[in-house]
Amino acid sequence: MNRLDICRRFVASVRHSVELGIEVLEAGDNNVRTRMASRPELVGNPDTGVLHGGAVFALMDQAGGLANACTIFPEFEITPTIDMRVDHLRAPATGKAVICDAECYRLSQHVAFVRMTVFEEGDEQGEPLATGLATYMRMKLPGARRVVE
Amino acid sequence: MDGLRDLVAACREGRAPYQSLVDRVPYANFLGIEITARGEELTFVLPQRDTNLGNPTLPALHGGAVAGFMEQAAIIFLLLEMGEPRVPKTIDFTMDYLRAGLFRDTFAECRVTRLGRRVANVHISAWQGRRAEPIAIARAHFLLSEENAEA
Repeated sequence: MNRLDICRRFVASVRHSVELGIEVLEAGDNNVRTRMASRPELVGNPDTGVLHGGAVFALMDQAGGLANACTIFPEFEITPTIDMRVDHLRAPATGKAVICDAECYRLSQHVAFVRMTVFEEGDEQGEPLATGLATYMRMKLPGARRVVE
Repeated sequence: MDGLRDLVAACREGRAPYQSLVDRVPYANFLGIEITARGEELTFVLPQRDTNLGNPTLPALHGGAVAGFMEQAAIIFLLLEMGEPRVPKTIDFTMDYLRAGLFRDTFAECRVTRLGRRVANVHISAWQGRRAEPIAIARAHFLLSEENAEA
């Protein structure tokens, strides 16, 4: 099983991420690219049809957890979020899927440090719509690996 | 926006249930958010629902679902707090997770720390068993410019 397999199995086991329609597109040594399709039930402003900031937050939080999984690979750990800050740089274009890139830029013995960037699909080189910064706890639970097996 | 302004006024005057502010937002319905009011004091509720589960080994609520719940609570709270409601747009949202969110009902309350002309700062606290033992706290800034209210 490679990193991408682990990430996909991990997301498949997280009910709310499945409900949000989160997909894993790529998995690197310490980073992932994830995607969330535009869906009517994720709209936050019914007058404009713009995606809710909370759905973007959830995507970023999940992507961060996957970046941790890539960095910890070939081991697997559950990494609950300690804290996370999201800056909404601009409103997302309506009706477009969003892409979240997450990178674990430091893995210490107990804590993982992650940054995230969110774009509209097809505009990965353009202005990001949100950025995030988070820390996660490395919970070394025995048997955590069952989640992805 | 006119529709929203009228709805906020109706809720304040008791002519419409607070819940109608939730029901108009698709994502709030997706999470299942409810509002309970004691007089004018609002408590937001994220009912226990399978679809908001995250970590399969605990099982615990998805941190993103709890954050989205708290962000939406702050938006509705602000709408009701402002003399002349303008659509709050989230500038930033900072979440501290203090305890695992267990698979049960979650509650949230909000406090406006500062309501400026263009920016509001809101503190949100979420708990399950006891209010004094929050599972998460958050701090958010919202943009309130007129320009955005018309958009």
